Amino acid sequence: MILNETSVAEIKEKMVRYPRRKSAILPALTVAYHQVGHLNDDIYDEIASIIDIPAVEIAEAATFYTMFPKHPVGKYLIQVCHNISCALLGADSLVHYLEEKLGIKKGETTPDNVFTLITVECLGSCASAPMMQINDQYYEFLTREKVDAILDELRKQA
Amino acid sequence: MSSADDNKVTLTIDGREVTVPRGMTVLEAAKSIGIEIPTFCWHPKLKPVGACRMCYVEIEKMPKLAVSCATEAMPGMVVHTDSDLVKQGRRAVLEFILLNHPLDCPTCDKGGECDLQDLTFAHGIDDSQFDFNKYRFIRDKKSTFDDYRLGPEIIRNQNRCILCYKCVRSNKEVFGEYDLGAFQRGNITEIDTGPGQQVDSIYSGNLVEICPVGALTNTDWRYNIRVWKTQKVNSICQYCADGCNLTLWKDRQKIYRATSRRNDAIDEGWICNRGRYGYQIANAEGRLTVPLIKRGERQENATWDEAIELIARRFKEIKDKKGGVCIGGLAYPGLDSASLYAFSKLFRTILNSNNVDFRIDYKMLPEEPGDLYTQITSRKFSIAGIENSDVVLVIGSNLINEHPITNLRVRKVVTQKGAKLYTLNPFATKSGDISTDEIIYRAGTVEALINGLCVSIVEQKLASDTVDASKLATRVEPNTVAQAAKISGVEADRIVGLAQALGEAKHITLITGELLSTSITRDAITAAIMNLALLCGMAENGQIGFLSKYANSKGAEKLGVMPLLSDSLIAEMKTLWGGYPEQKGLGADRMILSAKKEEIDALFVMGSDPMLCYPDGQFVREGIEKLDFLVVADLFETRTTQMADVVLPLSSIAEMSGDFVNLEGTVQHFDQAIKPLGQSMPGYDICNKIASALKEPLFESVARMQPDIMRLLLREENPEIQRELREVKTSVEQASGEYTVPLFVVDQAHHFAHLTERSKSLSAFCSEAHLELSPSMAEKLHAETGTLIRVESEVGKVILPVIISEHIDNDVAVVTRNFSANPVNDLQMRKQRVDYVRLTRVEEK
Ligand code: SF4
Ligand code: SF4
Ligand code: FES
Ligand code: FES
Repeated sequence: MILNETSVAEIKEKMVRYPRRKSAILPALTVAYHQVGHLNDDIYDEIASIIDIPAVEIAEAATFYTMFPKHPVGKYLIQVCHNISCALLGADSLVHYLEEKLGIKKGETTPDNVFTLITVECLGSCASAPMMQINDQYYEFLTREKVDAILDELRKQA
Repeated sequence: MSSADDNKVTLTIDGREVTVPRGMTVLEAAKSIGIEIPTFCWHPKLKPVGACRMCYVEIEKMPKLAVSCATEAMPGMVVHTDSDLVKQGRRAVLEFILLNHPLDCPTCDKGGECDLQDLTFAHGIDDSQFDFNKYRFIRDKKSTFDDYRLGPEIIRNQNRCILCYKCVRSNKEVFGEYDLGAFQRGNITEIDTGPGQQVDSIYSGNLVEICPVGALTNTDWRYNIRVWKTQKVNSICQYCADGCNLTLWKDRQKIYRATSRRNDAIDEGWICNRGRYGYQIANAEGRLTVPLIKRGERQENATWDEAIELIARRFKEIKDKKGGVCIGGLAYPGLDSASLYAFSKLFRTILNSNNVDFRIDYKMLPEEPGDLYTQITSRKFSIAGIENSDVVLVIGSNLINEHPITNLRVRKVVTQKGAKLYTLNPFATKSGDISTDEIIYRAGTVEALINGLCVSIVEQKLASDTVDASKLATRVEPNTVAQAAKISGVEADRIVGLAQALGEAKHITLITGELLSTSITRDAITAAIMNLALLCGMAENGQIGFLSKYANSKGAEKLGVMPLLSDSLIAEMKTLWGGYPEQKGLGADRMILSAKKEEIDALFVMGSDPMLCYPDGQFVREGIEKLDFLVVADLFETRTTQMADVVLPLSSIAEMSGDFVNLEGTVQHFDQAIKPLGQSMPGYDICNKIASALKEPLFESVARMQPDIMRLLLREENPEIQRELREVKTSVEQASGEYTVPLFVVDQAHHFAHLTERSKSLSAFCSEAHLELSPSMAEKLHAETGTLIRVESEVGKVILPVIISEHIDNDVAVVTRNFSANPVNDLQMRKQRVDYVRLTRVEEK
């Protein structure tokens, strides 16, 4: 078992909130993600047996959502929106800046396992573009200076 | 404008007014007046999803184009299916769909019958505004082409996929299989197996057929031929009594594939993999092509004249000396009606013997004609009629394997129409996933359980008033729910619960399968079921399906390929033939017994392999060894042909035209696809040759004989159901000594009778017998999938690899049969109701 007792209990608690078991898929995936830091086939199988939904449906939902990483990632998962509004306001150069600063390419993790950089589709915060999400937190109206400050702060905490 | 009838709506499509039932989509409404709208993701048997947008129409007062497949027809709608706006919309949709499409039609197996090709030709433009590189799915970095196997027979090429989701949808919605999914999203969405899974269900071939493009192809058809070089032949499946309608695709002497020929009364356009890949036996290696005669120890090639002359001489000698009663005939119930009829006629008019039977896998047949079982099986059953039921009760059947397509109808009424399914079996099956209650009874106690149900229905005052229920307690044993629960091992409250559901049901479909029909106590079981049926009022509101097993079992019954017939059928035969043998005939089981006692001297086996299929291998072997003369006609060498004095090459079903009678009693015709292979002959020609050599021909031509055959096949016997509760006393056998695990010998989903082993595609799913065990049983034996286990009964022993079951959860041994390398029938005893075995691990050296 990958999921610990707390996670299993939490999933079971969430499960009963919905009239259809299928609705518990995303909450369950979120619990698993918070515990493990990423998702994989074994986790889908475990969730499948907890909420009694075929594993294929769990995997379909999980892979549909880019915000669940499917491989181990660094402590901070930087998800830069590169969809239309953010793109128009410089998402591409933001990504390049981050790549340079972190010394990794998009999709990679820093050797000290602190940062992973990926791009994602619209995060629904177009009005404050360009933006990115790091773990559960949104960072909006980004500029290079802001990015510097954010990364410095996070590195201190790491 | 609005219609008076509330259940109807009237709308205008392309200037024509049309009235359709409420709830119908715009697409279906258009179809109903012959207006075709192009579609990719719509399918008549699936819920609409509106994924592809190809079915755009313009509806006045709606701001945008609407997807007609997912828009309900509303009163007063004015719809245009061919306006400029619609044309423009379709073109744009096609342009998007083709965005990443490889356009490799010249090497794509779908080319020539591809919806994308056809609709692009009809509605698309020949240019694209997009000038960036196409997205490519490539798994193998060394390859430029993406071919990826999803299961034994299915190859996926994701680049060709247009994401209509029909594969995934039908798999989940119709087949109840969860081994395929759509992963990721947007243009990188991928159709793939679930985690660690394979797409290998009995229905998997349908996913290829439903795919509108070449994204899913099957290995039998792939790169073998172009569709336009083939001809289509109407056929009927020969691998169960459902009788699915097929199209065979052939070029000259070779069949390349089989697809469904949708018949809504039976298959609704789905077929199982046996039907899809079973055609391969016709062109398989190892077919018998010339007659063989045993000379000394060896069987040597002979001419038909030599073979027939020998058969006629030996039959005549035996008949002259000891009478026709010393000759017996076993015919395979998957033969065409003409062959079965000729077989019976040969025995009854020329050999003067009633020893004919088709029931090759029944233990201990009843000796009297017109037993209750036959009375019930001669009643009408309708597959489509299952949809009228609010309760379906399945007793003693692993339905998905025995009747894959009837099983889909049961799934449909349960998952889409809200009916309740109850299953009563000695071990859990896949049906459990949609059952309201899946009841597992102790092996060999089903009558007790049914008696308990009857008692409970009466106690709950739910019995139908068309029957006098007061006599029940004196006629059945056990006659309390508590006793029934104790004997069957089923909790009393579940018996009461099911009794209540049955008593309150408005329309019940009751299905029983092979686990009951071949049982030696089937008369008692049938009586118990009949009591239940009467108490639930099924004779008026419901249907009872004692489903026959083989493609033409029902035909064989109607044509009288059994030793003991009803008086009315005998009278019919007398009129047809001018005579009928006096002497009582023997059933399959007793013929072998008599052979053992040297009372039967010769046996003619047409198309079946009793050595492999009859439940008691040793018994058959001993009987057959004692015969003076054995003639076997078959497609391939079998365990039985190996013992024969004369072997005759039989043509396959694809090599003749004829008909089968399915489990409903529907007579279905199939056409000839290819010429008989080598010197092989259809069964009716073989019988006719033997008859001619002995005395006189059975018929001038098959066509001339057809009216006689049809007369018998269309005869309705439907006897009145006797409204009296019957006696049902339960006798329970106990396991004894060291053999304690109940044994069930069943069919594997992808293997049928002794035949389909020769289909390459079916063998890819399963090519050997297995021992299926519950996880806990496997654990006790420290066995994993593949571990070899010695299965021993009092009379035989086989070694089989284990499969850990996804369903079974009690202590039983379920073994799959009819694989020539593992004659599991050696474990069975004909007189034993339940066979018990001992399981031990084979230690590796
Ligand atoms: S594989 Fe075929 S059936 Fe499945 S989604 Fe793609 S195009 Fe549709
Ligand atoms: S369900 Fe029966 S008749 Fe239909 S395709 Fe399968 S084996 Fe053939
Ligand atoms: S486009 Fe970036 S948040 Fe919407
Ligand atoms: S057919 Fe209507 S959206 Fe695909």
